[in-house]
Amino acid sequence: MESRRKRKSSQIFKWVCYTLLMLLCTVLQTMPGLFQLGAAKPLYLLPLALAVSVFEGEFAGAIFGAVCGLMWDYTAGRTVGMLALELMILSFAVSAVVQLYLKDTAQNFLLIAAGCAVLVLVCDWLFFYYMPGYSGAWNRFLWFVLPSAVLSIPVSLPIYWAARKISIEFKIDNGVV
Amino acid sequence: MKDFFDTWKFKILVGIAVFLAAIMAYAGANGRLTAAPQEILSVAVAPFQRAAAAVSNGVSSLWEKYTNIDAILEENEKLTTENAELRGQMVDYDKLKAENEAYKALTNIQEQHPEMSYVSSFVIGRDPLDSFYGFTLDQGSLDGVEANDAITSDEGYLLGVVTEVDLTSCKVMTILHPSFNAAGVVSRTRDNGIITGSADYAAEGLCILSNLSRSTLTKANDQVITTGLGGVFPPDVLVGVVQELVPEASGKSTIAVIKPGADPRTVKHVFIITNY
Repeated sequence: MESRRKRKSSQIFKWVCYTLLMLLCTVLQTMPGLFQLGAAKPLYLLPLALAVSVFEGEFAGAIFGAVCGLMWDYTAGRTVGMLALELMILSFAVSAVVQLYLKDTAQNFLLIAAGCAVLVLVCDWLFFYYMPGYSGAWNRFLWFVLPSAVLSIPVSLPIYWAARKISIEFKIDNGVV
Repeated sequence: MKDFFDTWKFKILVGIAVFLAAIMAYAGANGRLTAAPQEILSVAVAPFQRAAAAVSNGVSSLWEKYTNIDAILEENEKLTTENAELRGQMVDYDKLKAENEAYKALTNIQEQHPEMSYVSSFVIGRDPLDSFYGFTLDQGSLDGVEANDAITSDEGYLLGVVTEVDLTSCKVMTILHPSFNAAGVVSRTRDNGIITGSADYAAEGLCILSNLSRSTLTKANDQVITTGLGGVFPPDVLVGVVQELVPEASGKSTIAVIKPGADPRTVKHVFIITNY
C-alpha cells in the first residue's frame, strides 16, 4: 500500500503525462500535410479525450475532454467553447457507456472513436458548411467528413495504448488483492 | 452510475458545461475571445508546432511524393511547356520593361505608400476542420504582426489576411475563403472586381474575381492584382491569372475564376506585410 504523499505525486505525474500527450496530439493534428489524403486529415485530440475518459472515469474524463476541446477550439480558430462542450459531453457519455455496457477492449474503443469522429465531423460540417449554404456540401461530406473519420481510426489505436499505459503505470495501489 | 447524478461531481460538470456555453455565447456575440487564456495557450503550443512543422516538411513531402505522383508528372510536363513559352516571352521582357518605365515617367505615377515592411514567417499549423485551408503562422504581436495584415508568398502573390494575432503566432484566412474580400483589378483591362473565395472552387485551390461587367474584355491568362482600395491590402500585389470566365448566377455580371500564383493549400513559407 502506497503512502498518501507518494500516491498524490503519482497522480500529479499521471496528469502531467496526459497533458503532454494532449500537446503532442495537438501538434500532430495541426501538423501541415501529415497523413493528409486530399483535404482529409485524421483527428488526434478526440480519440485522446475518449481514451482518457475510458480509463479515468466520467468526471475526470469529462473535464479532460473539455480541456482537449478548448485546445482544439484554439487551434481550429473556432468559437471558444463549442468543441470543448462537444468533447466534454462525448467523454462523459463514452465513459458511462464503457462502464455500463461495453468491455474495455481496443476493438470496442476503435468503434466508439470512429462513431464519435463521425458525430463531431458531421456536426462541424452541418453548422459550418451545410447551414451557411456553401455549395458542394455533399462533396465535402463525401471527400472530407467520411475520409477524416476513417483516417482517425488507425491513429486512435496508439493513442488508446498510450493512455492505457499511463493509466496502468500510475494506478493507485490500495493494497486490495 | 445512477447515483452519480446526485453527486457534487455531476454538479461541477454541469457548472463547467454552463460556463462553456456562456463563453461560447459571449464569443459568438463579440467575436472570438482574445483574452489572456488564449494567448497563454498559443505561447505553450507555438514552439511545439514550430518544431513539428520543420519535421513535417520532410514527412509531408515524402507523403505527397507518393500520393500525388501522377499530378506531379503532369505538372512537370505542363511546366516544361510553360517554361519554353516563358523563354520566348523573355525576349520581349526588356522591351516591355523599358516601355513600362517610360509610361510611368510619362504619366508621373508615383508611389503613394512608403516601402513595405515584411516579416518572414513559416506555416506551423493547419487544422483539419478548416474547409478553406486557413493556417497558423509562427509570428505574432511580439514580432509586430497585427490583424488585417496581408500575407504574400515568397514570390509576392497574395495568399490571405491575418484574422487573429496571439503573442507568438497568428491565424490566416486564405483567399479561398468566401469571407475574404479584397478589391482587385485585371491589370490588362483595368476591370475592377472583388477578389474572394468560393466554395465551388476552394477545393481546387482557385478563387474568384466577382462583379465584373457582362461585357468585360478580360480573358484567360490575364493577371489580377489588388487595387489597394479599402486600405487593408496594399495596391499592386499580384494575385494570380484568370483561368476562365463564368456568368454570375443572376446573369447580371461575370465572375473570373483565378488561379492564384501561389497555392494557399500547400504553402509553407510566407511574408507578412506589416507596413506599406
